[in-house]
Amino acid sequence: MRSTLFLGRILAVCGILATFIPLRAQEPDSLGTAEEEEDYSMYDDVVFADSGTTRYCSPKIFDLSPQRFISIGWDYQRPFNITASPIGTYAEGAEPAPAESGRAGYTGGLRLGANIPVISRNSFVWQVGASFWDIRYAFQNIEDEPGAAGLLDILDERGLRTIGLNTTIFKPLNEKNFILIQANADLSGDYRLPQFQSLRYVRYSLAALWGRRPSDRLMWGIGAARTYRVGEMNYIPVVLYNYTAPSRKWGTEILFPARAHVRRNFSPRSILLAGYELEGQSYRLNTLSDETRSLEIRRGELRARLDYQFQLVGFVWASVQMGWRYNWSFNADYLEDKGQEFFRGFFGDQPFAMLNELGNPIYLQAGIHLVSP
Amino acid sequence: MLLRITFWAALVLTFSLHLHAQDAKADKLVGVWEPSNGKARVKVEKIGTKYYGKIVWLREPIDPNTGAAKVDKNNPDESMRTVPLKGYRMLKDFTYAGNGEWTEGTIYDPESGSTYNCVIKLKDDNTLDIRGYVGVKALGRTDVWKRLQIQ
Repeated sequence: MRSTLFLGRILAVCGILATFIPLRAQEPDSLGTAEEEEDYSMYDDVVFADSGTTRYCSPKIFDLSPQRFISIGWDYQRPFNITASPIGTYAEGAEPAPAESGRAGYTGGLRLGANIPVISRNSFVWQVGASFWDIRYAFQNIEDEPGAAGLLDILDERGLRTIGLNTTIFKPLNEKNFILIQANADLSGDYRLPQFQSLRYVRYSLAALWGRRPSDRLMWGIGAARTYRVGEMNYIPVVLYNYTAPSRKWGTEILFPARAHVRRNFSPRSILLAGYELEGQSYRLNTLSDETRSLEIRRGELRARLDYQFQLVGFVWASVQMGWRYNWSFNADYLEDKGQEFFRGFFGDQPFAMLNELGNPIYLQAGIHLVSP
Repeated sequence: MLLRITFWAALVLTFSLHLHAQDAKADKLVGVWEPSNGKARVKVEKIGTKYYGKIVWLREPIDPNTGAAKVDKNNPDESMRTVPLKGYRMLKDFTYAGNGEWTEGTIYDPESGSTYNCVIKLKDDNTLDIRGYVGVKALGRTDVWKRLQIQ
């Protein structure tokens, strides 16, 4: 009986001691900023605890402009003149007499974008995104000749918009090499929300690159793209060249020919980009199309610009962009066989359905963005 | 009486063993880890009840612009911009939430001077998923850190 009682007491004491031992161990030993002296050289010579561990290159280099999760912006172009030919059959370089002309007093609209990482690991990055761009026109002094297609009236009344889905895959092959794939599906036209046009007129873009990232200040790549950057579908080579100078004050962000910028980093929270971007879509004009063929405006423009991006608070950044919008193409094609796309490229001789001329105004763009870690 | 003492002693012992087991799991975070970019090595320590990670090695320890040891020059707090990066606590205030996960902490990126919410998940004994995020976990990026052994 006594021995059992003794055993019970020992168990109780052991239990109580065991309970408090970890609590003692949890008392803070140091939380201040001043560190006790430590010999950091001991961390020079280490090995992975796992054998066969692979290092992968990152999709970024130092000081790139931040990637945007969510973006809300407004684009505005200063007034410019526009002339449009009648609908017909025109060889490139033809100079048909304009059938309608006017002055775009207002051109602009909302630009929304979202880009969400689905898988974001060091061995594989997959992002999906969506975008909505709206262009509204307000024309003044419209003059129509007989045979005019009424393009300016359509643009004035309906505007142009694009709803797009995109995806980006970054696959590092090892510590230096990577593959980058970007794909877009855009539905562009004079449709009104929520009445979309048929998904038959979705236009697809794709770019694939093989690249190297030899250091934290340089990544480059070469590849090919199917693109609508100049309005109509084209196949082009692409070159990626992102670089940051040793001073960490200058760099480049280039995905040629889609865009090329010189970057000036004032701080990690303040960046100026100077360069250009090509913008383009193929807009189906429902009003001038029918069941058998699709009339599509091949909008392609070069935007030479200054783009200042800065942190507002935390991960919320703002951007202010100003530049010159140069009209590359606002011509139109008839796509036969219910909108079947064709490839003209730089050397094709397929005729245009309309040849249109736009003035080249100054433009402004401002936006607020939630940026990525 | 004896039965009651024995019962309580057993209960206390079981509870304390459970605490020890929890501590053992939680302490698997302690060690030296390398982020995927291989630019730094981070030593995770337990201080009090929380876990902290400090930079103990840099692949490029010298700032080419100054020729001196790298400091936290991108910190939004100007008073911190002369603090050496080596020894800097970039992981702060993590608590063990069970199931091999540490939460409620932050991760600091010296490259941008930004601090993110962060969740750490132990994938296996030698692998961590470190997810920094903005507001909600969906808006984030996961980096895989590997455990190092000192030779």
